[in-house]
Amino acid sequence: MRLTILGAGPGGYVAAVKAAQLGASVTVVEDKEVGGTCLNRGCIPTKTMIASTEILSKIKDLDSFGIELNGSITPNLSKIIAKINRVVSTQVKGIKGLFKSWGITLKEGRGVLISPNEIEVTSTDGDKEKIETDKIIIATGSRPAQIPAFPFDGKKIISSTEALELTNIPKSMLVVGAGVVGCEFACIYRELGTEVTVIEMLPRAVATEDHEISELLEKELKKKKIKLITNIKVDRVDVRDDGVHAFLSDGKELISEKVLVSIGRALNSGDIGLEEIGVGKGSRGEIAVNNKMETNVPGIYAVGDVTGGILLAHIASREGIVAAKNIMGIEDIIDYNVVPSAIFTSPEVASVGLRENQAIEKGIKFRTGRFQFRALGKAHAIGEINGFIKILSEESTDKIIGAHIIGPHASDLIHEAAVAMNAGLRARDIAGTIHAHPTLSEGVMEAAEDVHGEAIHVPKK
Amino acid sequence: MNPDDIKYHKEHTWVKVSGKKATVGITDYAQDALGDIVYIDLPEIDISVEANSEISEIESTKATSSVISPVSGKVIEVNEELSESPEIINEDPYGKGWITVLELENSSELDDLMDVSEYEKYVEEESK
Repeated sequence: MRLTILGAGPGGYVAAVKAAQLGASVTVVEDKEVGGTCLNRGCIPTKTMIASTEILSKIKDLDSFGIELNGSITPNLSKIIAKINRVVSTQVKGIKGLFKSWGITLKEGRGVLISPNEIEVTSTDGDKEKIETDKIIIATGSRPAQIPAFPFDGKKIISSTEALELTNIPKSMLVVGAGVVGCEFACIYRELGTEVTVIEMLPRAVATEDHEISELLEKELKKKKIKLITNIKVDRVDVRDDGVHAFLSDGKELISEKVLVSIGRALNSGDIGLEEIGVGKGSRGEIAVNNKMETNVPGIYAVGDVTGGILLAHIASREGIVAAKNIMGIEDIIDYNVVPSAIFTSPEVASVGLRENQAIEKGIKFRTGRFQFRALGKAHAIGEINGFIKILSEESTDKIIGAHIIGPHASDLIHEAAVAMNAGLRARDIAGTIHAHPTLSEGVMEAAEDVHGEAIHVPKK
Repeated sequence: MNPDDIKYHKEHTWVKVSGKKATVGITDYAQDALGDIVYIDLPEIDISVEANSEISEIESTKATSSVISPVSGKVIEVNEELSESPEIINEDPYGKGWITVLELENSSELDDLMDVSEYEKYVEEESK
């Protein structure tokens, strides 16, 4: 089986390794760097940056930990960027090493489908090469969305890509869009000392999260003196000598040094030959696939952001595995019921399963358990007491149908609920499991107990 | 000691009236019950608030708690010092720890509030 994959992001490279493990002869075509947006311009660089700003935040609070600092501290953005580059290059090497060990061929260049069995690769210096193949996986991903109101110049009007490359800390920044990316960068730059204003056209920040999570995150942003303005659109921006002028839908005007536009992502499904061979696409350009990740053209599969849906690296990877298995004759289908997600704001946000309003819309009868981190000894010890854990369980079965966490290490804690949901466990199963003391995970247990009003560290209601 | 020149609300807030100005804060009992205060969400200048509704939110290491306004009025001043040092409320709840000044709308609302002896009795009952 000869398999060719367009794109070496978390969808493409994982599919490549899985298919090679199952015996395929795999070629991966990538026109930038292996690891895709996630590794080079997304998940990993932002988390590296956040690791630095978290230290900064702790240092500001050193006194409460009983440590005196004699001297000053200065964040150095170019050194932070240098660290990002080191981390990324180590991971890039890691993926290339994996490819080598599984005998996967990497073609550096831009691939275009000629037929369901032929791909033409144009290398950066213009050489063309044809690859013959039995099956194809398209995993070309997405890029920051551009609209005419915000003409990116990469210097003053920037996307998340450039926000990871600034070498000087801006005095002020307007973030357009209070989604995951907007809120993460707002926290990062605020911690570095930038005056940050975030404008969101929807009524709340991280609007796809549970409403209680949004409310608390908004409050935490406010505490950091990040100015959040909701229900307002930025009509247009204009670069002038004194900064970028943003004109808002309520008639107001804001001036800032940088404008970070984080209004969503555009899908990379153009100019790769799909129209010519009749691969079906939706209105946003998303490649239509079934639950085996097959497109309408036999032998051509698509995974990850380019198929639309929820744009998450870990979904792309799972879809890549499903595609690789189906190609290698092992039937598998994708299941989106249990998809944990995390937002690396400060505090972190993480969720899995249904939000409260979704459960109500679906007509599911459920119970809710809540537990505040500030009731945990461990949260006080580490000095991070803000936030809570919320667990929803179906009334009739007690099965967990959703969990939502805002607070310290939310992105790690969510997986206990994810495993429980995947295994069809009940709130009582988590509540009945002894949790080590003193840990933040005790909060998950207490939230599960609170589903039945049985939490120990919650005052009588 | 709870002062006798102010009026008390059952949600453990106080108001001190001078002309049209009504200064609002939380009581000593409230600050003690909350424990170390780490954050206060101060109201915005010019907003109007109804008596018995939330005017601010206080976070302590133990809990998050609403501050209930004892009277109705427009916010004309807030204690900005509290945003940097909310612990002032613990230290001096009736003095430097004041939260906001309202422009009093309806002085008859003061009749619904308790005086110091009534409040102390009320606290005693509540903590039984």
